[in-house]
Amino acid sequence: MIDQQLLLMLLPLIILQSILLIVAIIDLIRIQQTNGPKWVWALIIILINIIGPILYFIIGRRP
Amino acid sequence: MQWFVILKKEILENWRNFKWVWVPIVFIIFAVMDPLTTYYLPKIMDAVGGVPEGSIIDIPMPGAVEAMMMSFGELSLLGVLITVVIAMGVISGEMKSGVYELIMSKPVKYSNYITAKFASVVLLILLSLILALITGWYYVLILFGDIAFTALLTSIAFYGCYFLLIIGIVLMVNTWVQSPGVVAFLSIIFIIALNALTSIYGHIFTWSPALLSDYIQVYLASGELVSEIWYSALVALLFTYLCLQFAILTLKNRAV
Repeated sequence: MIDQQLLLMLLPLIILQSILLIVAIIDLIRIQQTNGPKWVWALIIILINIIGPILYFIIGRRP
Repeated sequence: MQWFVILKKEILENWRNFKWVWVPIVFIIFAVMDPLTTYYLPKIMDAVGGVPEGSIIDIPMPGAVEAMMMSFGELSLLGVLITVVIAMGVISGEMKSGVYELIMSKPVKYSNYITAKFASVVLLILLSLILALITGWYYVLILFGDIAFTALLTSIAFYGCYFLLIIGIVLMVNTWVQSPGVVAFLSIIFIIALNALTSIYGHIFTWSPALLSDYIQVYLASGELVSEIWYSALVALLFTYLCLQFAILTLKNRAV
């Protein structure tokens, strides 16, 4: 069964992942223009776990 | 000093890009994911179900060294990929947008420009690598077993040489073409070629930098530094130096 120990083990990862998500969202709100429509990036960041924010930082921010 | 001015500007830019936030986090997730899922795989399968009643699944639990090498392995693959993506636009992007001409209109030395860029990427990647591997080591310590912290630090030092080489290669390719995408593509081809050649002729090229993680595994398992690991690290550093020199040369010839 998924027990308490597993949850404790996963907790740091979940925190890191939420930081990633929050930073990406804050940046998305503040940035003027993204590479592609903004709302699509918002969906990608929120819906795709871990990889979504990474994709946004690599591709989404206009260089 | 000029060199520090460029380095500071790069670090500030990386901070504004949030690279200082997301690169360490992503590296840490990469390093932790594999040992963690391996350890909890039997439990996850239990919880998810779908396993026929009475069937016995015997997944051998890896030892501490194998688990630690999972972290290294994941970083060798995805970490390298992220490194290439981060370094792909450092110079080529500036050339494309015209910032490069702006900088070069001032009396900036090419060697200062290249090495400062190199240092900024190295700083970011190595710090992320150290954080990631220490976190990975911590999980291995809890879940699998003991690995000496000093042994880990020595491994990280050797492993860092491999990443230096990769950043050197990407910066060298950066001076050839102006499109970041092409830079990433060419660099990855270089790195794959290096790894492929090593895996085919590994018995001849025992000093190949691509073998560093293999030697690290030997070191972690036996506690002994084989002489080849020194040669590999030296060759990696030498190649990095050559790549940077070549990049400086290319920029000098471009300007004329």
